[in-house]
Amino acid sequence: MSQFASSAGSKPALKVRSRRISPKALIAYLFFGLLLVTQLYPLLWLLIYSLKTNEEILSGSFFALPAQWQWNNYEGAVEGGSYFRYLGNSLFVTVTTMAGVILLSSLAAFAIARFRWKYGQLVMLLFLLGMMIPMQGTLLPLMIIFKNIHILNTHLALILPYMAFQMPIAVFILSGFLRTIPHEIEESAIMDGAGPFRIFRSVILPVSIPPMMTVCILTFINVWNEYILAATFISSERLKTLPFGVYSFVSQYSVNYGAIGAFLVLAALPVIVVYFLLAEKITKGMVAGAVKG
Amino acid sequence: MNVLKVSRWTIAAFILPCLIVYVGLVFVPILVSLYSGLLDWNGIGKSTFIGLDNYVKMFTNDSVFWPSVRRTFTLAGFSMLVQVPVALLVAILITRFVRRPNFLVSSYFLPVILSVAIIGQLWKTIYNPASMGGMINGILTSLGLESWTHSWLTEPKIAIYAIILVSLWQYLGYHILIQFTGIQNIPSEIYEAAKIDGADGFKADRYITLPMVLPILKISIVLSFIGSLQSFDLIMVMTGGGPAHATEVLASHMYNMSFITMKYGYGSAIANVLITMCLIATVLINLLFTRLEKRYN
Amino acid sequence: MTKRKMKWFGMAMTGVLAISLSACGGGGSNSTNASGGGASEPAAGGGDGASAENVTITFQNIYPDASDPKNQMLKKIVEQYESEHPNVTIELDSLNTDQQKLKLKTQAASKEVPDITVVNPAAQMQPFVDADLFAPLNDMVEENGLKDTFQSGILDYYTFDGNLYALPDGNNIGVVYYNKKLMEQGGVEVPKTFEEMIEAVKTLKSKGIQPMVIGEKDSWTGSFLFMNILLRTNGGPGFLQDVLDGKKTFEDPAYVEAIEAFQQLVDAGAFQDGATSFDYNSGENLFKTGTAAMYYMGSWATGGIETAEVSKDGNVGVFQFPTVGGKGNPDEFMLAPGSAFAISKNSKHLEETKDFLNYFMLNFPKEAFEVKGAVGIAQNVEGDFKAAGYSDMAMNVLDLFKKVKGGDLAFDNTMNPGTTQAHLSGTQSLFVEKKDAAAVAKELQAAYEDNK
Repeated sequence: MSQFASSAGSKPALKVRSRRISPKALIAYLFFGLLLVTQLYPLLWLLIYSLKTNEEILSGSFFALPAQWQWNNYEGAVEGGSYFRYLGNSLFVTVTTMAGVILLSSLAAFAIARFRWKYGQLVMLLFLLGMMIPMQGTLLPLMIIFKNIHILNTHLALILPYMAFQMPIAVFILSGFLRTIPHEIEESAIMDGAGPFRIFRSVILPVSIPPMMTVCILTFINVWNEYILAATFISSERLKTLPFGVYSFVSQYSVNYGAIGAFLVLAALPVIVVYFLLAEKITKGMVAGAVKG
Repeated sequence: MNVLKVSRWTIAAFILPCLIVYVGLVFVPILVSLYSGLLDWNGIGKSTFIGLDNYVKMFTNDSVFWPSVRRTFTLAGFSMLVQVPVALLVAILITRFVRRPNFLVSSYFLPVILSVAIIGQLWKTIYNPASMGGMINGILTSLGLESWTHSWLTEPKIAIYAIILVSLWQYLGYHILIQFTGIQNIPSEIYEAAKIDGADGFKADRYITLPMVLPILKISIVLSFIGSLQSFDLIMVMTGGGPAHATEVLASHMYNMSFITMKYGYGSAIANVLITMCLIATVLINLLFTRLEKRYN
Repeated sequence: MTKRKMKWFGMAMTGVLAISLSACGGGGSNSTNASGGGASEPAAGGGDGASAENVTITFQNIYPDASDPKNQMLKKIVEQYESEHPNVTIELDSLNTDQQKLKLKTQAASKEVPDITVVNPAAQMQPFVDADLFAPLNDMVEENGLKDTFQSGILDYYTFDGNLYALPDGNNIGVVYYNKKLMEQGGVEVPKTFEEMIEAVKTLKSKGIQPMVIGEKDSWTGSFLFMNILLRTNGGPGFLQDVLDGKKTFEDPAYVEAIEAFQQLVDAGAFQDGATSFDYNSGENLFKTGTAAMYYMGSWATGGIETAEVSKDGNVGVFQFPTVGGKGNPDEFMLAPGSAFAISKNSKHLEETKDFLNYFMLNFPKEAFEVKGAVGIAQNVEGDFKAAGYSDMAMNVLDLFKKVKGGDLAFDNTMNPGTTQAHLSGTQSLFVEKKDAAAVAKELQAAYEDNK
């Protein structure tokens, strides 16, 4: 691992090879800039959208600014969409799901990637199969299962399937990462007399932060906007999550677009904040993970 | 070879919690779905066992099925052969030219975070007819290229490509992130050693980055394939599978059959075919990459 | 440094897990406790003879938008009832229409139907009735004279084998709204025949005015219009019933002629560019913002249109869909009995639920009248619409209701879902491709036989 330590230190020197900007770099920057505009534009668009009237939105003009900034869309979103209640529920469901996924999948991934046993590949295959299941296809069977274990209309009816659906990708990413760790690590730990649980906790977990962050982000994104399961398994107003808020502005014969826009902004805010926080951790975590021993 | 020799109980303690949740909530439903695929059932009332009739009908007498398969694979093809390579290129360029890549990579990821509802709305305003303020047609008109304008989302031959473009755009950042992380994990000594041997710049990428990033590239490809096969919400938001099934893909066909047309048995059969296709493709991709990795190592 | 980091991480990790686990446990038990008194759980310990047992009734509905008058009305009646019956809690599960349909189907599959839910009339609710999921409301509707508040005949669409299973919130007809100013600018009159309508479309188009709009991404919109043409070319109602009875096929001249007429309308340039990518709302909005001259829709759109910009100074009028090829009677309309409230047969609190729904429906017309939502409801309304401030346009629509001499139901209310989907996509394809009418009809006939 010492090689990683030195490499981490010298990395910046490698990346920026010269101080003056070459034509190649200029082209690259132009390209980055262009891409940045196209990828960030939706956020700006959404912000403007959320401040328009229904008529302005539906007239569909692409660049137009609202004639009057409709801040009351936000009022409507917060009150009509029960924003804070749904936000609390969403946070609870998402954080619990994330914690569950990380804990359970890293245990499983550790066993698959590092234990000497016959069926590791088989179990991995089983998990891989799970990535291919379209969620809509499980709706009906899940309903019947949840009915029989009496968890319909509770948060568990969301947390459990969310966890289950994130596990394949989590195990896939984590075990892939764990395979790349040199075996000497465990060997020295075993010599120190550490059992598998201690190795997992004090050797493996600390170096696995970056892939765990990746898993967190993926889980967060997939769970945060999920609506089909939520709408089907939750009926109590008290327990509903954020996507309900978005769709609560869609009535049978009318849609309150401005409020939807405002609600989407409010709903996306936590994701963006969490994402940018974690994204920082990814690269930091990577260096931290490498600097060890 | 793995070094940790542990007892059966230890293995169970590590594996079982995850496995039980997963098997109970993902695997059992698949088994149920395998069985439902053999039924003539509207999802509510009584069901009749009809053996493989659903599959026979799907393969021989469903005018929507095969075109949906073709469109699904077109999307997957674009995703694997255009989106992933472009993402790799961007990731390499970022590593090479940008000193503080965090912000850039994170920003590129942004469209993935936003809900499909908003992405769909945005692109509809881009694709709208010029009279409705659509951006593309507006620009074409102002350039005097009126003959190039199209009704992008409603012309049966074009609509699916219009949607594919949105999908490629939305998930580009996702693959950039994955590959960027992969490249970051390549130890820099290797580059330095190569530099001494005279391999620099793109040559280094060809002989070092590419082989070293293969495992992560595989992840990207597998994810893009599976994602494409399951993608459905963007289509529902933008065209609803129309006009007249012209943008229907397997996943949307399955959804329509199960819940709108109320042929739950038939919908399950489509789901099973979808899963099987994913499975075969994943095995093939794995084989391909094992071979590639062998060649490079 | 690294040791400290590891230690910190270990602590953080265990901390997070401990919190999340306890939170999870707490959340889980919380919600089970809460739903213990709820409808989805058996009423534990309720057998002790407590007279005012606490009851929670789950009311699934499709009025989610708090700014929608129907939502406000719903909440008002529920609050009134709750204050009069302190032991009853009404839990509102408000969803948008598509999601409610999906949810109900999933719930029905596992026999978990909420105490009160929403279904569509006739053929659309048949599968649920066949699966024996709903409680008959025959006796309930007699109480407090509720039955007599409904318009005569409307409850038939919700009655199967003599049992009434649902109570509708609406009863609408298909009409053509038109923008007086734009019609004048284009120099066209309200068309008396379909042929005049085609001419009007052409004239408007040539003057740069959008003749008609439609939200054809939701393909029922085109189908609704198409069915009105069919109602005319068939010389009267009952075509689909004849097909079901085996007296006619979709290859019948009446159906082929209707396709041809519909195609004429499309070819004349009646509809906006990219019509099949507009959903119902964005299509309707084009009319509401005054960009289009005519708009065919169910009379439920009245409320939205009369409050829109375009209706200023009585600018919007309505007319009956005209004759096609000299056939049909304009007093026959597309009939749209609305979505309706049904009660789960397995409801844990069947009596209380029936009592509440009875109360709800009794108060429905009065409250709807007050929020100006009484045009096109299924019950008789007492009150002077004019004096209550309903617009001239709304009054015109109400007059059209008086002219109704029968008509047809929408396609999906008559045919099974499989045939319906074939019909919807066949009709949608007319918007984008030139097709041989006979071939379209033949395809549909094949789909019909396949789905029988």
